Amino acid sequence: MQKPSLNYDIEGSIPKRSGKSFYPTFLLTITILVLFPWPTYSQTEKSMPTTRELKTMSMEELMEIEVTSVSKRPEKLSEVASSIQVLTGEEILKYGATNIPEALYLAGNLQVAQKGSHSWGISARGFNTDLANKMLVLMDGRTLYTPLFSGVFWDRQDYLLEDINQIEIISGPGGTLWGANAVNGVINISTKKADETQGLFVEGAAGNKLRTLGGIRYGGKITPDIYYRVYAKYGSRDGAVFPDSTDAHDSWTMTQGGFRIDAKISSGSRFTFHGDAYKNRADLISGETSDVTGQNVMARWSYTFSDSSQMRLQTYYDHTDLGLPTAPFVVNDTELAPEGTFKDKLSTFDIELEHRFTIGHYNSVVWGLGYRFMHDDVTNSPALGFIPDMLNLDLFNVFIQDDISLAKHLFLTLGTKLEHNDYTGFEWEPNGRIRWKFREDQIVWAAVSRAVRTPSRVDRHISQASPPFFVLLTGNPNFKSETVTAIESGFRSLIGTSLTTTVSLFYNKYDRIRSTILDPVTIFPLIFENGLAGETYGFELSFTYQPTNWWQLFTSYNLLKEDIRVKNGQTDFNNTYNETADPGWQFLLRSSVELPWSVSIQAAFRWIDELPINNAGKLATVPSYAELDGNITWQMTDKIELSVAGRNLLHEYHVEYGVPGPELVGIERSVFGKITWQIWN
Amino acid sequence: MYINYLTHWIKHSFMVSHILLIVSLGLFSFQTADPLNEYKLKAVFIYNFTHFVEWPQHTLQQNNSPFVIGILGKDPFGNYLIETIQNEKLRDHPLIMRQFKDVDEIDSCHILFIDEPEENKMDEILSKLKGKSVLTVGDRAGFAENGGMIQLLTVDNKIRIQVNLNACKSAGLNVSSKLLRIVTIVDSQNE
Repeated sequence: MQKPSLNYDIEGSIPKRSGKSFYPTFLLTITILVLFPWPTYSQTEKSMPTTRELKTMSMEELMEIEVTSVSKRPEKLSEVASSIQVLTGEEILKYGATNIPEALYLAGNLQVAQKGSHSWGISARGFNTDLANKMLVLMDGRTLYTPLFSGVFWDRQDYLLEDINQIEIISGPGGTLWGANAVNGVINISTKKADETQGLFVEGAAGNKLRTLGGIRYGGKITPDIYYRVYAKYGSRDGAVFPDSTDAHDSWTMTQGGFRIDAKISSGSRFTFHGDAYKNRADLISGETSDVTGQNVMARWSYTFSDSSQMRLQTYYDHTDLGLPTAPFVVNDTELAPEGTFKDKLSTFDIELEHRFTIGHYNSVVWGLGYRFMHDDVTNSPALGFIPDMLNLDLFNVFIQDDISLAKHLFLTLGTKLEHNDYTGFEWEPNGRIRWKFREDQIVWAAVSRAVRTPSRVDRHISQASPPFFVLLTGNPNFKSETVTAIESGFRSLIGTSLTTTVSLFYNKYDRIRSTILDPVTIFPLIFENGLAGETYGFELSFTYQPTNWWQLFTSYNLLKEDIRVKNGQTDFNNTYNETADPGWQFLLRSSVELPWSVSIQAAFRWIDELPINNAGKLATVPSYAELDGNITWQMTDKIELSVAGRNLLHEYHVEYGVPGPELVGIERSVFGKITWQIWN
Repeated sequence: MYINYLTHWIKHSFMVSHILLIVSLGLFSFQTADPLNEYKLKAVFIYNFTHFVEWPQHTLQQNNSPFVIGILGKDPFGNYLIETIQNEKLRDHPLIMRQFKDVDEIDSCHILFIDEPEENKMDEILSKLKGKSVLTVGDRAGFAENGGMIQLLTVDNKIRIQVNLNACKSAGLNVSSKLLRIVTIVDSQNE
């Protein structure tokens, strides 16, 4: 019997070639369609709604309209001198996302690749590999990436999506303000204040891949100045499939609960206290199950001294406890180490202070200090170990940035961060940005910045397998920070309320990127080295367009070129292929239509170019693919909403990441129904 | 080989079309008007309140008696409010706009926009409006918390609404649940 083949089978029936030539043409057509209304639009000068048009809109619609404030407000999105996109909580829900990685597919300036049912790679401007490590990810100011590999375990970063305020996605270095690891970008997730999430809310969803999802939140008021909420969320998801369409056995469940309290202490003083606890249980392809539990608690105090001076002090504690069964370590059919369980207990304590103030009319300064202490305690399994198994890490930083008004509409931002870590000592992360607001809500900007990725425990301490078993790969105690110098420029234009255009160009120069070398004498173990360097460049384009008040379009189009080389006098076991696995082109088109009878329809189409991917020093490819997500919502009453959503509708299954072979995992079509009920306000 | 060449060409042409598009955007964006003034939008909000709030019967007894939207203090609306309510009616009551210099001038008024920077004066104005079933609207910080009924706030360049429900109730005004769904409810601070 013929087994159904996945798209990666290049010689197979679904021709990759026609796919490749079809989709760009298709995209071109879409672009032309999107483009087409523009001339009419500019001629009729509908850029600004007339009073008559405004009067036909609902209150909800009016509340979505952006206005320019007569009084000056700091940092409108249209004035930020970096490549930033913002997903609002409402958008995330409208498009039927059920967790944070699914929501991030909606951002035009990210590469997202789902590697299995509970594993994602998410990066901006490339380097989106198994151990993607160049993004800084924060939730309400708490760092989500692990010092284990400087990346994020996306399956355990969850929240009740109804209570997410927004997700800011910055592509490009953010080292100065955000700190180490913001090499290629920053993902900053913020949740709503407790006073915005009042009342009892429940939701439930079920479908073929999303087996069950349930959420509940209650928000109340202790005094007129103190609001709180408590929430819980549970999700159970089915596994992905192997190339022969058998179950990959990687189903998983995530249970999370938490609280948030927002208090107004005095007119200028606010206090926020929140915490979460979760338990993640994920089946692994190997047939074992991994268990993760985590808790965190954060306190933040902000004080406004005056319009021109604000201070914020925050501190958090975060603990994760990972139990990961590791399969036997097998190389060329020889078992080098038996199966076992790897454990990692990580505790993080962090305190940060930030102060913003203005000096005269021309200088707006922000400075801050931070200290982070991490205690990492691993239990090595035969197949995977870290040496030493227990480690304390201290991280200090201080930063200052000044936004200088050079002329009426010309601003220069200069700043630097100085950070001290236990591995490499002091690191500088300076940046300079210039923006020219040549019209109201239209700016051009340019920036030069340097950012570093400081070593992770993988780079320094990994041992695969762990002694006394044969060690094939080991970390390098002298591994240095990877660095990037980035030159960027961009243009952002907000025309009326219906059209936003953003363009960003970038050229990144990387040095000391991770390589893997053979020991010149003993051959093994392989050891990490900073032996690669290279450049990436490309652009990110996006347009938000609202042809009428019931129709919104968003499209983005990205190019990424990567040229990573082995440095002179160095070698790389992986022939430079191990640190990148990124699409050259990617395209996203989102459409949201509000119909009468309280029905709305959303669709998100994406086309992702093929990924060149490392297969033990040779280059393999993940074929390009196109997928479509959709959602239909019916606001049945003012409190009850019903929706039917589909993800990855175009194929029975498709591959987003992985090396061709029996363990390559395909992501299946998913359909689910959902009900949300705001029982009382 | 041929296919490769073709896809490259298509990709390339796609890129060119996008670049053209940016350039054209850049050009025409120079010709467009200023962005939306916040008071143009706020005027429409105030007009909409006439549909979402119920005034006691006695305030609109006679047929065709006007529904008065007043402004106390400085008028920030320019022509926007007039433009919005022109030729509009609430049932058979024509909407009209009136400007008041002093709170004592107010005889008949249904919605009153108050632009008063001083807290003490605010208290005085509100106490004089007591028992008059006037929906007070303002956009200064703390308006609703200081006893005003509806506050229009600009948050991240969008208009948000705070309603002091107790103040509305004690004035005999019934606020529709449709409106309450999208507002933040606040209470007077000195309670």
